[in-house]
Amino acid sequence: MTDVVETSGLTKRFGDTTVVAGVDLRVPRGTAFGYLGPNGAGKTTLIRMLLGLTRPSSGTMELLGRPVPEQRREALARVGAIVDEPRFHGHMTGRQNLWVLAAAREPEAHARIDGVLERVGLLERADDRVSRYSMGMRQRLGIAACLLAEPELLILDEPMNGLDPAGMLEFRELLCSLVDEGRTVVISSHLLDEVERTCDAIAIVDRGRVVLQGRLADLRDSADAVLRIDCSDPARAAVLLRLREDVAGVREEEGQLVLRLAADDARTETAAIAHVLLDAGFELYRLQLDHDSLEERFLGLTTRLGEAA
Amino acid sequence: MSVRLIRAEVVKLSTRRGLMAASLLLTVVATVVFALILLVLHWTDPTKHRIVGGINHFNNGLYSLTQLATMAAILIGATAGAGDLAAGFFRSLVVTGRPRGSLFGARIPGGLAVVLPIAAAAYVLLALFSFVVPGDASTPSTTLLVEAALWFQLYIAVMFLLSLGLASLLGSRATTIGILAGLQLLVTPLVQGLHNPGVGADSVLGLALWRLAPRELLNGAPPGHLGESLAVALVVIAVWMAAAVGLGAWRTVTRDA
Repeated sequence: MTDVVETSGLTKRFGDTTVVAGVDLRVPRGTAFGYLGPNGAGKTTLIRMLLGLTRPSSGTMELLGRPVPEQRREALARVGAIVDEPRFHGHMTGRQNLWVLAAAREPEAHARIDGVLERVGLLERADDRVSRYSMGMRQRLGIAACLLAEPELLILDEPMNGLDPAGMLEFRELLCSLVDEGRTVVISSHLLDEVERTCDAIAIVDRGRVVLQGRLADLRDSADAVLRIDCSDPARAAVLLRLREDVAGVREEEGQLVLRLAADDARTETAAIAHVLLDAGFELYRLQLDHDSLEERFLGLTTRLGEAA
Repeated sequence: MSVRLIRAEVVKLSTRRGLMAASLLLTVVATVVFALILLVLHWTDPTKHRIVGGINHFNNGLYSLTQLATMAAILIGATAGAGDLAAGFFRSLVVTGRPRGSLFGARIPGGLAVVLPIAAAAYVLLALFSFVVPGDASTPSTTLLVEAALWFQLYIAVMFLLSLGLASLLGSRATTIGILAGLQLLVTPLVQGLHNPGVGADSVLGLALWRLAPRELLNGAPPGHLGESLAVALVVIAVWMAAAVGLGAWRTVTRDA
């Protein structure tokens, strides 16, 4: 599978402040990719660099296999993007705004206007002035503007901001349908739950650095495991288990033992721990092995939230 | 340059009802109202207000129209230069991959396609009025009408380009309008009225433009200081234009969107 976005050592500094710090990012083609991080982590700045809205301080980047900014025009011809929030001329209608944006694209873009308006459910309101649109309608118009390019790649910055639950559900379905068509959708967001529902690959960014990236399923599988043990005399069992080198963070919680195991060996370790406890005369009532949720990993990796907690 | 981009600029400007209303008010409506006031005065007291139209009205009217139409050109230029930025729309245009230079370049013919017809309509009304009700004065010659029309359009085009360039440089419509309105309504008339304004007066764009006006027109209009040579006036205009358009284009290409 080829990568549609590839950055190497991408860095952006504003004076003494480094906002994006040596980011190496790979976005596989045909996926919904979540670029996840707390507010102020440098997500929007990275997107702005990719799209040529601001210049990087150092590093290289490619979009759809083309180096940017060298081949920016060719690369962006098949990219649709919304940065921050979709902004339009409020005095013009939705259709007029698209018409103006289509003028900046290839000649065929004008012929797509009605189709994309229908696709996002705005055809009936296309001739209303944008100043009368709700936030959700503007978001949909933003997607319509992206689709004018027949994009292979869509880059959407915080697309769920300001949407009500129904709007979010509708928007999620739209994004899924775009991915089903073979397009790649990159979503930058601080909404972990939304990314988890929508994306199949993610990168977690904190303080300008990508601290974790990969397919969501792989990340879940590779997450540390948590073993909960319901047994007799948990305090004495905790003392016994703390002597083992292959377990960490043994603690008592609501009359149970909770301990962490390495993900790759968790099942074998669970069986071994059960044997140790039984051999030592403890009675085992229940063993439950879970992997860390994405939320737990996100909180653990993003220092700002970790510090605040 | 892309014709579609130019048409897009025309759409963006011409759909702004407030801007169009203000521009028409400053040009077409002002010309009609000015003429109607003169007519009413003439009808109420023909002995005191004998001459209504004719060449004097044309000359005086064109001076006033130039001042007002310049304000319209400044409004339209400032909107063309900073409107996309103010709406947050410039970013949407940049991410299409279209070179920023061509986005800026399209604003020039697009804006001129809006401002020049408006100015031309007002000019035609002014000229018509000079012929319809000339009183006992002579009417403007065809040569004067053609030369004055070309000069007037040049004046408005130059002021539009100045406003467009400055707005693109500053990224602010209000600041641009404030600066240029001050320049046009305060600085230029002030320098114009000085008895001994010095060499610096030659660099005032408004005065350099008046230096290009038809001689016959200058007889009626109150231009004041016009001491510079034609060559100096042309150089002054060229430098102002190169600076305004060049800086506006440079900032459009280099600014963070």
